Amino acid sequence: MADEVVFEYLHMEMISYLYRTAEKIEQDHCISKLESLGFRVGQSLSERFTKDSSRFKDELDTMKFICKDFWNSVYKKQVDNLRTNHQGVYVLQDNKFRFLTQISSGKQYMDAAPKYLAFPCGMIRGALSNLGINCVVTAEVSAMPACKFQIQIQRL
Amino acid sequence: MAVCVAVIAKENYPLYIKTIPTDNELKFQYTVHTSLDVVEEKISSVGKNTNDLRELYLGLLYPTEDYKVYGYVTNTKVKFVIVVESSNTSLRDNEIRGMFRKLHNGYVDMLCNPFYTPGENITSRLFDNTVLSMMQQD
Amino acid sequence: MSRQSTRGGDPRKVNGELFTLTYGALVSQLLKDYEDDDEVNKQLEKMGYNIGVRLIEDFLARSNTGRCNDFRETADVIAKVGFKMYLGITPVVSNWSPAGDEFSLLIENNPLTDFVELPPGHSSLCFSNLLCGVLKAALEMVRFLLYSSCSFFHLSFVCFLFHTAFVSPKFDVISLLVDFGCCLLC
Repeated sequence: MADEVVFEYLHMEMISYLYRTAEKIEQDHCISKLESLGFRVGQSLSERFTKDSSRFKDELDTMKFICKDFWNSVYKKQVDNLRTNHQGVYVLQDNKFRFLTQISSGKQYMDAAPKYLAFPCGMIRGALSNLGINCVVTAEVSAMPACKFQIQIQRL
Repeated sequence: MAVCVAVIAKENYPLYIKTIPTDNELKFQYTVHTSLDVVEEKISSVGKNTNDLRELYLGLLYPTEDYKVYGYVTNTKVKFVIVVESSNTSLRDNEIRGMFRKLHNGYVDMLCNPFYTPGENITSRLFDNTVLSMMQQD
Repeated sequence: MSRQSTRGGDPRKVNGELFTLTYGALVSQLLKDYEDDDEVNKQLEKMGYNIGVRLIEDFLARSNTGRCNDFRETADVIAKVGFKMYLGITPVVSNWSPAGDEFSLLIENNPLTDFVELPPGHSSLCFSNLLCGVLKAALEMVRFLLYSSCSFFHLSFVCFLFHTAFVSPKFDVISLLVDFGCCLLC
């Protein structure tokens, strides 16, 4: 089991590596690269974490897994609030999101938030995709370190 | 022990198939393919009965004259199929469960290899060894 | 082998699988970006170096480790305190050179290589090369703190890691060699 500092520094270094090696015009590309790294990790994690659970009943059952078990294993807490419009949009609210607690809460740091949230967004999308739910995941921060993840299900 | 072990992707194409002896592969491919309909049926039938356990292990899919075909489905909709000879009466339900458990663990570890792209054919040596250990005659 | 769920565990610890898989995804991405083992090794070391610079600050603040008197003590602290604290493993210190300026850290069950099966044709990839960078930075910083008053201070640091994935995937060796020549002169 690794110390959280090691993971935090690894995540930070991953971000700065991508920005360091990318051309100025490719900055958007860094976000999507971080997202796809998270996607691959999410795929593996969901496969591991569901190994011993019984089969999920439906979409909501899967979402509850993300909010409880997945969040608990990755962030050591549950999602604080889950809301849905019953039309394929789910909003997960975490009032103390672990990846943001290390960043100072000053307004000037808000710009950095998307960089730190790309990887976690990818993890959610990867986990859900592996569980058979294709979606788009976006994150929104209004006051650090609270964070809202919006999951929009893509129906075929 | 098992005479055929197969892993089927969630989109129902084969990711891995191993048979003993190997020249039976075509025959077993057909067996496995046929079993997928039963798997689908079993998966979609849950929910109607709220007391359903919704186990990953699906049990005996169907018996033929010579073989018994068992199924298992992960939460990620990957299917495992194990074929054993009907003449092999020493294999009880518990042993079959144990084999699926082992297969599932091996699959999870294989998927976690960062150099594996999910959805690709499984070429992992470690996974291969896990499967072989379930097929060896003892 | 159960590095399973961390529920209810030490809040300072992160899920081991999350860490392992994230590192794996990174190496795999680097390999796609550079398509060259040596270049990937170099990038990993560089990233490790940047991590090490921060990590040593954290280490000094948290570990209450006093000043090391010699390189042997340093080796022990790296293995028994550093690795233990950050990765939950304790490498074995061995292969000391007669001069006492070189040793190896033997890592069994390297958490970074859990699940890893290297694709063929990457025999020169040092999968865990990040660790070399971390150690290099950490030791440089400490030496700097300890001997910064010594103007002759010179440190040439060689750090090798042999990733023996093909022989035994769970066994890594890191060798550290520090040139003490100038320190002894002071």
